[in-house]
Amino acid sequence: MSPGRPSAPANRPHGRSRSRVVAGRVAAYATLIAGGLLMMIPFLWMLLTSLKTRAEVFGAPPLSLPSGPHWENYERMWNAFGDVTFGTFFLNSLKIASLNTIGELFACSLAAFAFAVIPFRGRRFLFGILMATLIIPFQVVLVPNFVLWRTLPNPFSESGNFIGTQEPLWLGAFLGGAFGIFLLRQFFLAIPTELADAARVDGANPWQVYRYVYLPLARPALATLAIFIFMWSWNDLLIPLIYLRDLDQYTTTVGLAFFQGQFVGKWPEMMAGAMVSLVPMITLFVVAQKYFVRGIALTGLKG
Amino acid sequence: MVLGLAFLSAGPILATLGISLTSWDLLRAPELVGLDNYARLVDDKRFLMALRNTTFYTAVSVPVGLALSLGLALALNQAIRGISWIRTMYFLPLVTSAIAVGLVWAWIYSPTSGLLNQLLGALGVPAQKWITDPFWAMPSIIAMSIWQGLPANTIIFLAGLQAIPGDYYDAASVDGAGRGGRFRHVTLPLLTPSLFFTGILSLIGSFQVFDQVFVLSRPGRPTDATITMVYFIYENGFRNFKMGYASAASWVLFMIVAVLMFAYFSSQRRWVHYQ
Repeated sequence: MSPGRPSAPANRPHGRSRSRVVAGRVAAYATLIAGGLLMMIPFLWMLLTSLKTRAEVFGAPPLSLPSGPHWENYERMWNAFGDVTFGTFFLNSLKIASLNTIGELFACSLAAFAFAVIPFRGRRFLFGILMATLIIPFQVVLVPNFVLWRTLPNPFSESGNFIGTQEPLWLGAFLGGAFGIFLLRQFFLAIPTELADAARVDGANPWQVYRYVYLPLARPALATLAIFIFMWSWNDLLIPLIYLRDLDQYTTTVGLAFFQGQFVGKWPEMMAGAMVSLVPMITLFVVAQKYFVRGIALTGLKG
Repeated sequence: MVLGLAFLSAGPILATLGISLTSWDLLRAPELVGLDNYARLVDDKRFLMALRNTTFYTAVSVPVGLALSLGLALALNQAIRGISWIRTMYFLPLVTSAIAVGLVWAWIYSPTSGLLNQLLGALGVPAQKWITDPFWAMPSIIAMSIWQGLPANTIIFLAGLQAIPGDYYDAASVDGAGRGGRFRHVTLPLLTPSLFFTGILSLIGSFQVFDQVFVLSRPGRPTDATITMVYFIYENGFRNFKMGYASAASWVLFMIVAVLMFAYFSSQRRWVHYQ
């Protein structure tokens, strides 16, 4: 879909006079922008509070401007835990989200290629099972997954297993995920099979067909998937909460939750932390909005 | 191979079922206790509250969220200049983590000088405790969730609206349909696939609520007024390390979602129109 193209009748002036059309348009703008500002209030308040002193937070009216940008809130938040700064959380999140993205792109594109291009027995049945797992909440299997990571030996950790390490947060991505396989398969199916046939006639093996025909053509779909995987990983709370133990392993989400326990009532510092954790996703969204919109419109992908 | 994948997907769910029949604290070997965990769930007030709260959350947030996002999609489906910037304002909550925006919502709901109480105070409404008030706690959590879930559903509805051919509206106009008639007889029926789809996502999502409840109850843990199914699983499995008990709750959650999805998919034939 293209977000800029509305369905035809939305604004057709059916015999209305010109001035009424103009008035209607002004009203539409006013309503839409007012509603948009209403949606934005939590963000505006987060930003305003993060720049206020604590006295202003409790003294001045809620949506008043701060007496000046009090960046010291950000500094206090950043260095709140001594050696482990907020930067550590940030880098951990970045590392985990990047590994998830790489893993899912690799594994999902291979699996999707097999489902879309290579005929094999039981293909439909297997794909059906995969789709069925899509509607099962992952929380249902939290316990067995935890037991699995606790049973697998890990020579590099003190406990001898994977609890308290970051591996459970990203290693699974290299086995692929149902959403990614579904998204890419749909895209691969739309690629004319003649292209693959022509490559095979020229002597390409399946790997080469995948690598040199399908992957380059699927770039928009891969970008969409990458953005969503990155976002889910960046915003995830429950899984890091369960597996991480030490402060220096924390992701930004767990770090923020930890802040909440430390900074009770210190709203400016907390809002500063929330602002910093939102910056990467908001930047990504403003730059790549069309990929988000297309991804959701195509598959209903959502965090 | 087929069996392998079937096992891979069904395996963990069967493992949950297996563990749910045991008493297991991870330190000692699991001990088989049959259906004891399920029998205890039925008598556990906190579990029953979690079930009740999750049901309430679903019953309110799904229809209200869908209606609002449908309205928003209709409003945003206009060819006016700058519409993509206006849409960005509405879509921004989409990419934010529940924990980060939860912090600001906790502050909005704060009983002392929170935004909501200050605004209501200006209108002469007495201050409420919102999250700690047993009556207002769940509605407050639902309001935040709807705000955050609005963009995704709106985007799906927008895509659905833009896929409706303009000819249909022209034909309806020729037949004398007004605005309301065009909406009821063209837009709504042709939007049912999108509605079906957003319905699935919202239903599944509403049984997974955790982050919002976690962040709004901090510091501390959810009271009986706000605990949800997934929080109950988290609390028992990963705070109290009662793996058997948490698995029994997980299996109940699985059965509820499975039955609901079966019923929902069966209803599809009766109200979803594909072009």
